[in-house]
Amino acid sequence: MSAINNECSYISKNKISFSFDGKTFYAYEGDTIASALLRNNIRLVGRSFKYHRPRGIYTCGIEEPNALVQIISEHNEPNTRATIKRVYDGMEITSQNRWPSLRYDFGAINNILSPIFSAGFYYKTFMGPKGFWKNLYEPLIRRSAGLGKPPKNFRSKSTHQYHNTDVVIIGAGLSGLAAAKKFINTKYKVLLIEQDSYFGGILKNSNKVKTINGLTPQEWISETEELILNSKNITTLKNTLVTTYNFTNHLIALEDKFAGKKIDLNKSELTLHKIRTSNTIITNGHIERFISFRNNDLPGVMLASSFEKYIHRYGVVPEKEPVIFTNNSSSLSLLKKLVSLGCKPKAYVDSRKKDNIETEIKKILKDNDISFFSDAEIEGCDGNKKIETITIRQGKSFTKLKSSMLCVSGGYNPDIHLFTQSKGLVKWDKNILSFKPDTPFQKTITLGSTSGNYNFKKLCDEINEKLSILKTKKVSLDINLNVPNKFSIKELWETKKKSNSNWSKSFIDLHNDVTIKDLKQAITEGFDRIEHLKRYTTNSMGTDQGKISSINSLAIVSKMLKKEISEVGTTTYRPPYAPLSFAAIAGRSTYEFYDPERKTSIHSWHLKNNAVFEDVGQWKRPWYFKASENETMHQAVQRESKMLRESAGILDGSTLGKIEIKGRDALEFMNLMYTNAFSKMRPMTSRYAMMLGEDGMIKDDGIICKISDQHFIATTTSSGAPKVLADMEEYLQTEWPHLQVYLNSITEQFSTFNISGPKTREIMMKVFPNIDFSNDAFPFMTFKNFDYKETKIRIMRASFTGELGYEIYIPPKFGLELWEEIFSCGKEYNLIPYGTETMHLLRAEKGYIVIGQETDGTVTPIDLNYNWMIGKNKKDFIGKRSLSRPDTSREDRKQLVGLLPINKKDIIEEGQHIVELNELPKKITNPIKYLGHVSSGYHSPNLNHSIGLAMIRGGKNLFGQKFFVTVTGKTKNIPVEIVNPVFIDPENKRLTS
Amino acid sequence: MILIKCPYCGERDQSEFANGGEAHVVRPKNPENLSDKDWGEYVFFRNNPKGIFYERWVHSHGCKKWFNVVRNTSTDQILKVYKVNEKRPDLTDFENTLKSPSGEPIVGSGNFAVKK
Repeated sequence: MSAINNECSYISKNKISFSFDGKTFYAYEGDTIASALLRNNIRLVGRSFKYHRPRGIYTCGIEEPNALVQIISEHNEPNTRATIKRVYDGMEITSQNRWPSLRYDFGAINNILSPIFSAGFYYKTFMGPKGFWKNLYEPLIRRSAGLGKPPKNFRSKSTHQYHNTDVVIIGAGLSGLAAAKKFINTKYKVLLIEQDSYFGGILKNSNKVKTINGLTPQEWISETEELILNSKNITTLKNTLVTTYNFTNHLIALEDKFAGKKIDLNKSELTLHKIRTSNTIITNGHIERFISFRNNDLPGVMLASSFEKYIHRYGVVPEKEPVIFTNNSSSLSLLKKLVSLGCKPKAYVDSRKKDNIETEIKKILKDNDISFFSDAEIEGCDGNKKIETITIRQGKSFTKLKSSMLCVSGGYNPDIHLFTQSKGLVKWDKNILSFKPDTPFQKTITLGSTSGNYNFKKLCDEINEKLSILKTKKVSLDINLNVPNKFSIKELWETKKKSNSNWSKSFIDLHNDVTIKDLKQAITEGFDRIEHLKRYTTNSMGTDQGKISSINSLAIVSKMLKKEISEVGTTTYRPPYAPLSFAAIAGRSTYEFYDPERKTSIHSWHLKNNAVFEDVGQWKRPWYFKASENETMHQAVQRESKMLRESAGILDGSTLGKIEIKGRDALEFMNLMYTNAFSKMRPMTSRYAMMLGEDGMIKDDGIICKISDQHFIATTTSSGAPKVLADMEEYLQTEWPHLQVYLNSITEQFSTFNISGPKTREIMMKVFPNIDFSNDAFPFMTFKNFDYKETKIRIMRASFTGELGYEIYIPPKFGLELWEEIFSCGKEYNLIPYGTETMHLLRAEKGYIVIGQETDGTVTPIDLNYNWMIGKNKKDFIGKRSLSRPDTSREDRKQLVGLLPINKKDIIEEGQHIVELNELPKKITNPIKYLGHVSSGYHSPNLNHSIGLAMIRGGKNLFGQKFFVTVTGKTKNIPVEIVNPVFIDPENKRLTS
Repeated sequence: MILIKCPYCGERDQSEFANGGEAHVVRPKNPENLSDKDWGEYVFFRNNPKGIFYERWVHSHGCKKWFNVVRNTSTDQILKVYKVNEKRPDLTDFENTLKSPSGEPIVGSGNFAVKK
């Protein structure tokens, strides 16, 4: 009933301590959590996902379905596999999915209620009433189902590393090492990847191999490892798991840099290797599968090869007197080892007929007087939170034995996960009763047990033959075995149950608590396709992806459907091979490194002057400025808007995109890209212009400055700049390669200030005393270059507010200095800084549109009544032809109009619908006629009432008519009048004087 | 993630590139002379075959150059990369390459990991 320690060279003699659920236990350096717990005779480590059944340690590796724990000392890392995570001194671990404690778990009531939790339970049960899912079911399910608790804080903990190699060998077991040996000192660049911290695979995990080339397995591993390490062309990675095998031989592997060590918060714990290779050799071996019987999930049931691995790899014999249950010849080595350690298994149960069982097994059993049951099976086991009794069926007789552990071997599956991820084809092999790799899709080679070759004697020939396509050396392997060379197995997936009770279950998926009964029920309900069945029952959908059980379920399903397994097929294997944390994928791309923040040269001034920022693309733009601590956004925007129309305001417009267009054919190119005609435009003037898609819809707008026919500067919207530049490049390269034009993004070469308001001219004259700002010398929509201190500036007369305005362009280095100079000169004129919200309000008063607010990818310039912007005499420009398509020339398209509330106190909200009804019915039974929507809505401080811009069907012909605008949460609508969308200075007097 | 050989920079990861849809769709020289239907064909319709496809790519996080690629959309194999001004390769150049990863699904979707 207890574990004993065994001599083992992979575990250090240094004793350390760790805590599990608050209690302190000892371990040796090198132990995994599982091996340490077994050493301390702890067998109950968790509760199951759905029924909260007690669960123990089932395996000794990545395939573990049960022993998932939470590492408190590593920022609460949940769902860690106890079978691979190494302990270190002071590690704090807790069990998961139990309350109040592991021994007394309240959720275990689910097990008694299990008849209602069968397949499709969620789909059938939580159908209604309305609202119950969100408020009752979901919170309840979330609390009782599931696994560990999420980590408290996210932190960046991985770096990414790239590799380009000729050959990758996945797995440094017997075949992996032999394959690597062939590449020693060849011209190939080789990467050898091992998941464990030691090489050797089956050689270190078992005593199946007695000698290789006359050496003990350990001697052979050391010799080979040294040769590999001394070879300059081979790189090795340990503690590294290949999770993904993509197209074009692209692999992703995750390295644990702190395996067995306490993590250092100042270093990255994980390295994500992104590998591109010419050839991939998969030698990651096989995974043992279980057999379904009554209560095959009780703590104490363990896979036979895992039990073996604990003895050889971790130096712990989990139990002196286990019962062994097998359907194949491989369990001989375990039997031998136990006997050699002086342990006597309680019984050896083999489902094969006596004649088919190897004589060596029969001899050992006889010599050591071990109970032997051939042509027999385990009917089930019973006990309270652990195995107490095991029932064996042989023919019609039943034998009950007392034992606390049961080692099960249901055969081996080649680990085809990565091979199928790479889109290789698999095929059913009757001799090993499993799927094995068949036709690779990429340059993939599988060797050893991965390829379905369980014959050690044939391994050497297989390796030499399959690698003959590459120029490698010959290796020779002379292998002596402790197990029969010929693998023999009898088909057995589930055993017959004697009794039936609610508590007794035959599991097919331990992780997700799927029973054989669930599979039967799903098939009865018509889910007879394996992919449907999987999703309906959640079979093999746990974090272990059914590594020890999915082939079993295929076999059981094929029997139920009376089909061949190859007809039923497998479900699709998808990356990752095993769970990996999101932090590993994110790498350094976190927070500001994921999405950089762009700041203008004036940013520090904005911060000092209480700007509240808005994100525009990656830019931080002042949204509004707080004049006092208590000022609300509405108050600030109203104040800024009023002040600007009374005196003057200044906006940091540096974020606006700026593109320089130069070259012999610049004029022709601009005429093609934009709707406007630039040919007759005089040099040193500017123009508001629009860019369309080929479908005729507005993509972007901006002001175009023409310096000459060969030189233009285009401004774009702040977030649209990269796209506009990319589109221009695309047309230049693909459609008009004959045009000689060069494009350059100059957005960040200039700080841009938009200063406007009636007092602007006085302020500008004071800042630049040598410049003539009179209307005649500097008319609207012209620009000039000037020397300013030790730099050059460009000033353009333009405005987005409807007031007199200038735009100043200056190199960013001098931006802040000039900005502050403007403020000191503007003080006497009450110059204020304003943000984007005020800019939007002021332009709405003037009836100017904003891309993405009035337009939404379905709006043409004609819809906005901007026909004057279309160069009708131009032969062609992008989108021109589409403007005369029947759909774009429809009269009832949504068109831009202004809205005025008839009752001046009403507020027009952005995004509301425009309808013909003054009141909506309480209950809407018939669709309500929809005319359009409010695209912009503001309270205008200058008019002292609400204004709106709207897109309304056939709006151009509706001026003067009365409609209604809906209100959030109310049925009573606001009456509005459709008007011309220019509320201030329709004659443009302010702009042009 | 596939590898793409930019004709100007060499082999790079797919993440450095952006796809530009079907290649060899030339913008009509005289749009005004086209019927609404023909213009609509150019603006709105593109092929999306399973198998060999001529498509445009741009090295958007690199040299920003556009080029053409012949790709088998069912296997993601790139059969040819050529510059915009180069001649379109013939379909007959790529015979016997239309083998999808695992043949066609035998039963339902995703069931293609098994060969009969």
